[in-house]
Amino acid sequence: MVSRCRFNQISGGGVRVQASNVSSTATFHENWENTKMSQSLRPYLKCVRSSLTAAITLSNFASQTAERHNVPEIEAAKSPEVLLNPLTVSRNENERVLIEPSVNSIRVSIKIKQADEIEHILVHKFTRFLTQRAENFFILRRKAVRGYDISFLITNFHTEDMLKHKLVDFIVHFMEEVDKEISEMKLFLNARARFVAEAFLTPFD
Amino acid sequence: MATINYRLIDVDALDPESAFPAELLTPPCDPIPTSEIQSLATHCRQLLQRGDQEAALVAALENVPYGGDEQGKELHLGTVLEILSSIKAVEMSPLLGRLYASPSGTELLDVLTKYLYKGMARHNNSASSTSTPGVSSHATGVSSVSGAREYGVAPGRGDGGGMSVLLSWHEKVVEIAGTGAIVRVMTDRRTV
Repeated sequence: MVSRCRFNQISGGGVRVQASNVSSTATFHENWENTKMSQSLRPYLKCVRSSLTAAITLSNFASQTAERHNVPEIEAAKSPEVLLNPLTVSRNENERVLIEPSVNSIRVSIKIKQADEIEHILVHKFTRFLTQRAENFFILRRKAVRGYDISFLITNFHTEDMLKHKLVDFIVHFMEEVDKEISEMKLFLNARARFVAEAFLTPFD
Repeated sequence: MATINYRLIDVDALDPESAFPAELLTPPCDPIPTSEIQSLATHCRQLLQRGDQEAALVAALENVPYGGDEQGKELHLGTVLEILSSIKAVEMSPLLGRLYASPSGTELLDVLTKYLYKGMARHNNSASSTSTPGVSSHATGVSSVSGAREYGVAPGRGDGGGMSVLLSWHEKVVEIAGTGAIVRVMTDRRTV
């Protein structure tokens, strides 16, 4: 659960510590750039990073339709004039990110790579685990947007409480980690399945 | 009255003053016939064949068919993508630098960014909703993962349909024009 640990770090008391130490973010960026990753993953994550940086420009905006309400406009969709054009960043047909910006909230939906049926199941289980605990994740949306595996909903209150670049870092880091985690889980699953099959079939040997 | 659940009626929708005027959301653009876009595509292709990629790109980005219909816009997107994929990776940055330095440089790069995002979004639509071509809203794009997926068969692991080209272009554009280009793509109601 790398992602959860990281998230607590962002949303908890750790923020103030990190906020005072600006240089730590700079080193994180450099490390991120230098870390060894697949040739096509780097431009993809870079594109997501710059798109998110541009999209998370949120301000407090009270609902125009319901008095004394303050709702995420991207979810309410009651006033079309405050919704902006959605952006799609895709690496290939199976991996993409949809960013739907509005004046006070953005919705980021991620489609995680699923190379085969096992990965499809693992991704489903993993995202289900996360979304069931959405309360603890602050920015996680309880239900993914249709056609995507996991969605985040970031409102202006989140950007007021947390640092914007840390939020962007978190989502990019999540995307990086989730692929690794899924393929790791797949390896473990195969190893376990092989062991179980061997143990089960020994008496018949 | 008993048949209608009056509590579920959206009374605000019936108020003529609450409706936001549609012409403010989509600024008026002169309709452009598809034949005109077609001739522009031919013109760009001729420039490409002469080896003048820069002129082709500028011609394609200066005459954006904002007022065209879906078909015309798709056609122009195809033209832009063809030009983009014909330019070598080493030539991208100097070319973009020259474009940005020109008088209408910001505008050109904004349009280019629009096409980059549209290029990446188009692939989803064609991939995810093959049964219903012409679906423009990718927010509601139907997932074909569980339905049309062939069990045990890994999907194509190729180049990703030219996505890497678009991603490297995007990287170079943001390096030169900054995140402002992306913000202007989001806020501009004139879509390509």
